[in-house]
Amino acid sequence: MTLLAGPVGRRLALRVATGGALLAVLSLLVFVGVDLLPGDPVTARLGPNATPERVAELRAARGLDEPVLTRYAQWLGGLLRGDPGTSFSGKPVSEMLADRVGHSALLAGLCVLLLVPVSLAAGLYAARRPGKPADRTVSTGALLLVSVPEFVIASGLVLLFAVGLGLLPAVSLIPAGDHPIRHPDMLVMPVLSLLLVASAYSIRVIRACAVSVLAGPRVEFLRLTGVRERTILRTAVVPAVLPVAVQVWLVTGVGLVGGAVLVERVFAYPGVGDLLVTAVLGGDLPVVQAIVMILGAAMLLALVLADLAVVLLTPRLRTGGAV
Amino acid sequence: MSGGIPTAPMSPTAPTAPTGGIGTGGGSGTSRTGPRAAYAWWGLCATGLLLILLGPELAPHGPTATPGPPYRPPAAGAPLGTDHLGRDVLSMVLHGGRPLLLTGLLAVGIGSVFGASAGLLTALAGARSRLPRMLLMRPLDALAAVPPVLLVLLILTALPGRVGLITAIALAGTPLSARVAYAAAEQVVGRAHVEAAIARGESRCRLLGREVLPLVAGALLADAGIRFTGAVYLVAAAGFLGVGGSSDADWGRLIVEALPGASLQPLALLAPVLAVALVAVTVNLAADSAGHRSRKVLA
Repeated sequence: MTLLAGPVGRRLALRVATGGALLAVLSLLVFVGVDLLPGDPVTARLGPNATPERVAELRAARGLDEPVLTRYAQWLGGLLRGDPGTSFSGKPVSEMLADRVGHSALLAGLCVLLLVPVSLAAGLYAARRPGKPADRTVSTGALLLVSVPEFVIASGLVLLFAVGLGLLPAVSLIPAGDHPIRHPDMLVMPVLSLLLVASAYSIRVIRACAVSVLAGPRVEFLRLTGVRERTILRTAVVPAVLPVAVQVWLVTGVGLVGGAVLVERVFAYPGVGDLLVTAVLGGDLPVVQAIVMILGAAMLLALVLADLAVVLLTPRLRTGGAV
Repeated sequence: MSGGIPTAPMSPTAPTAPTGGIGTGGGSGTSRTGPRAAYAWWGLCATGLLLILLGPELAPHGPTATPGPPYRPPAAGAPLGTDHLGRDVLSMVLHGGRPLLLTGLLAVGIGSVFGASAGLLTALAGARSRLPRMLLMRPLDALAAVPPVLLVLLILTALPGRVGLITAIALAGTPLSARVAYAAAEQVVGRAHVEAAIARGESRCRLLGREVLPLVAGALLADAGIRFTGAVYLVAAAGFLGVGGSSDADWGRLIVEALPGASLQPLALLAPVLAVALVAVTVNLAADSAGHRSRKVLA
């Protein structure tokens, strides 16, 4: 606990405060900002031929006739109490999210678990051989993968593994009430398609960072003193790369959720994605707002954690020495 | 990630984020190779672009025509076969490219202009007060915490259709464009020629247009290229999810419709998958090499 009293504690407190303020601004944008957009979900759904009475009726039914700030206060109060409101269909949003958040988190969690060793190994492997064919292959592969949408990669995997080789099921048909962890064969392709895109970016960052460390004077000195390459890698390169890598892993991990929406759709995986798309098509604003707020909060939390990790992994920052 | 990486931008709120050195020079495509290869590369890009823009004119069938039975393998009339409704796969792919590119281009144009204006004005005012930074940049930071796919879905719920899609993609790109513009302009506003212009009492428009913009234009264009990569991704994703008023032949939509019958007619899935992948990779490579060049100019 002594750590928390020192510079680390102060920095963490500042970051948490900034994160909280950003979250408050985000809630305002998500609720009031969306309300200020031209057009509204009711008239858009009913079409241009709807009678004014019908529009007014639907607006009243959805509670849209009250002033926006009143509604915002109610919504925010509910969120703080852990109640993200009621869907336009009348169901509580928390009930609709219940299982699905867990299923999506499983997908993202598995992906991050694999992302850490895969990206570190591939990044260091390429950095050890800059300009060689092995590095070219890894770097070019990462550059190509980084720009291709996940659902395109996922569709490509379906073509390869399900249609071409017939090894894996093309659709994650998980029985209602059953947990996806009991059907590992249906998890392989969703996790793999997320992993490919996520690791592409991490590999690029880790490789670039490791290349600059390996070319630096510290590694040169260690080499000249005759230290073995493996020891150099363990004691000099990995510690220097980790602060950057942890940030990328955390941010990518949360960012995965956006891509997971699309990948879940490819495999009909029962996660948040399916619910979200149905809500968007039906103009069910409370559901979408709740999901966006939850994921926005997760992103900001990941950024705070990433910052903390950087401080803890960098001795100079950890001890509050000269900057 | 997040959606791709264009979707998982580096943290806007973590000042320690490694923004430099990510461009590893792994494949700018043109720098290492000779001029002949560069010409060939640009020639290929131009041909592809022309093919996409003129696609609807070149397509042998309309986007709603059904020239054959469903799931027919490649034959004389339909070189890539037909899809689940009996539509010609080649024609559908040719029809889908133009809306994708034009929607992305329009959205990036709007988003970059907004973002660059916010960033430049903040940088110009920043020398004197911190208020514009708090008022303009902080809300944009909060916006950047939402993965772009979710932002698009949120806005399309309230504002469905093509207009909503363009608004959403523009908004998704604005925070990062603003940060790039701010960072580039911040280095420039302290320079002597700008201070001299301020001392002469030049108007704000002249200051921006004549003194600052010429120096940061390269960085802004390179940034717009990166945003365009993200926009192509988002338009394709919106088509794939069936939101945002997608046309019949939207590539994303073709993919999602071909998935159930992939084992019967793999080409109907493969063609749009390759089309999206090719466009995404090409746009990304072009943006990457433009970014490298502009960084050299700024440094």
